[in-house]
Amino acid sequence: MIRLDPITRDRLTRFQGIRRGWWSALILMALIAFTLVAELFVNSRALIVHYDGEWYFPTYGAVIPGTTFGEEYAYETNYKLLQKRFADEGSGNWVLMPPVPFDPYEINSYAGEFPPHAPNFDRGHYLGTDIAGRDVTARLVYGFRIAIWFSIALLASTYVIGIILGCLMGYRGGWFDLIVQRLIEVWSNVPFLYIIMIVASIVTPDFGMLVFLMVIFGWMGMTWYMRTATYKEVSRDYVMAAKALGASDWRIITTHILPNTVSVIVTFIPFSVAGGITALTALDYLGFGLPPPTPSWGELLKQGTDRLDAAWIVTSVVTGLVLVLVMVTFVGEAIREAFDPRRLTRYE
Amino acid sequence: MTAYFIRRMLLVIPTFIGITLLVFVLTRLVPGGPIERMMTEMQLAQEGVSQMQQGPERGGVLNPAQLASLEAYYGFDQPIALAYVRWLGNVLTLDLGRSTRYNEPVWDIIAERLPISLYYGLTTLVLTYLVCIPLGIAKALKHGEGFDHSSSAIVFIGYAVPGYIVGIALLTAFASELEIFPLGGFTSERFEEFTLIEQVQDILWHSVLPLISYMLGSFAVMTFMMKNSLMDQLAQDYVRTALAKGLSFKDAVWKHAVRNSLIPLATHFGNNISVILSGSFLIETVFNINGFGLLGYESLLERDYPVVMGILVISSLLFLIGNILSDLCVAAVDPRVRFE
Repeated sequence: MIRLDPITRDRLTRFQGIRRGWWSALILMALIAFTLVAELFVNSRALIVHYDGEWYFPTYGAVIPGTTFGEEYAYETNYKLLQKRFADEGSGNWVLMPPVPFDPYEINSYAGEFPPHAPNFDRGHYLGTDIAGRDVTARLVYGFRIAIWFSIALLASTYVIGIILGCLMGYRGGWFDLIVQRLIEVWSNVPFLYIIMIVASIVTPDFGMLVFLMVIFGWMGMTWYMRTATYKEVSRDYVMAAKALGASDWRIITTHILPNTVSVIVTFIPFSVAGGITALTALDYLGFGLPPPTPSWGELLKQGTDRLDAAWIVTSVVTGLVLVLVMVTFVGEAIREAFDPRRLTRYE
Repeated sequence: MTAYFIRRMLLVIPTFIGITLLVFVLTRLVPGGPIERMMTEMQLAQEGVSQMQQGPERGGVLNPAQLASLEAYYGFDQPIALAYVRWLGNVLTLDLGRSTRYNEPVWDIIAERLPISLYYGLTTLVLTYLVCIPLGIAKALKHGEGFDHSSSAIVFIGYAVPGYIVGIALLTAFASELEIFPLGGFTSERFEEFTLIEQVQDILWHSVLPLISYMLGSFAVMTFMMKNSLMDQLAQDYVRTALAKGLSFKDAVWKHAVRNSLIPLATHFGNNISVILSGSFLIETVFNINGFGLLGYESLLERDYPVVMGILVISSLLFLIGNILSDLCVAAVDPRVRFE
């Protein structure tokens, strides 16, 4: 257990006291943890197969060919059909499917119907299918997984750059500070969404490439805040005292200045997460994000607006987006309030 | 302070060159530029023709001489540096070139779309200020009461969710399901036949949903800004002093606190200026409004690079000048602010 100092403990208690923020944080944490094991809940592979006295757990690991279970084909087993066959045979073999037995890439077709299929509980399409016949629930879950981890990757990279560069600017000052300041000034004036769209129309970006592009145009914010925060701390007496005692620059930065700027960093995290999700969704919506058939909320939004008659597509994804973004913002507001309890005078 | 603004204005030049050079080089390196696109189009057309005629001379679409003249026409035969300098020279004489898609001057195409974006931008700006300032003041004075909480809920969703997603939600609910408002566009198809009053009604009818989406983004930020800054001011000593001297609370708020709390809103004014003209790709795409943003998006999809560059020139200039204006506004409103 990490030993918390009284101020941090105080802040944590205050944060827990802001109910909507605290609950949103818990739900979001649970959702992020859920995305790590999403395969156990939303997948076309079975969870457990009991066949001729043997146990199989196909969720993770190599493809199990159909021949293993006495099917005629050598490609990956179709567990939904296998489940039906075992049930028909009644031989004691059985298949346990996940709650949503669909893969985000799997195209489901039903005789005599054209996709998009409306929500149908008997088939397991709780939110219907998209215009290609892929299950919307599966697309939503895996789209969320990509979006949230995209945000986290983006956040981590911009914060690492921002903290290092911002600290150096604030601590060193002088010409280094001046040069980077001008650079940031010029760089923030670039209409970055448009440039990313232009780049994406030229090369089809993958996950890493898109994070890289967004980092190139998104590192300035954190750098600026860190510069200001460090600048403020450097002029404090305790830094002077540490210098007088002969502490090295490294020691002053890491053990004195950084811990005092944590509040700046922490308060910005939720807003960066929301920003990352929105940016990826917008790019995907416009068709300049991750290439199809990657599951994505932006792509679902596009499909939904093109096919407003299939209202289940647009309703599911808009509901998902609004819920996630509102929760993230609740957390952000709560953290901000917990870290900065300004007592405002009230007149009655 | 004059020196500061002169320096800022001068800094616009390298920034502008940096941005345009970056994009110019990118568009040059693209596979599938305008010439390739024209060739495929011609090829498709010719294949259609030759399938009917079974003519003897199919083969290549363009002979090398034709190709070279086409490349010269678009300036693709020059090295990038030279082509950029020539392009920049043209921009300085207000010549943005011709669109490869429509074969019309880029200026004319942009000028055609500008009024639409301007209409939405200006209306949004005026409405935002008209709603936000009173709402923010009311929320600050009634902080913690029922009205504050209930209005916060709505403002909060607008704050958390981007405008275009709200637009999609509105479109689904009010246009597709309830069929109260049109599905998009700026005017009806039979617009030309309408009388003047009907035309005005038609535009208003089409603009309700997009305007709400446009407003919501800046609306939430501005309302919270107004509320928080007024609450900050109310907590200041000078308000306490005014009240202690026996000034009524009403006077203390309206004559002292409100005036000072408007300062942060002025900071925001400059940012709004660039939004007025450049509009939003996303909202214009959602509502299929033929404005500046949609033009940029379409020309990117069609690889119509002269238009892409033209839009970049105008939007980045607006953005740069908007930022400076924003600082000027702050300096004008708040005499304490001095830029180095």
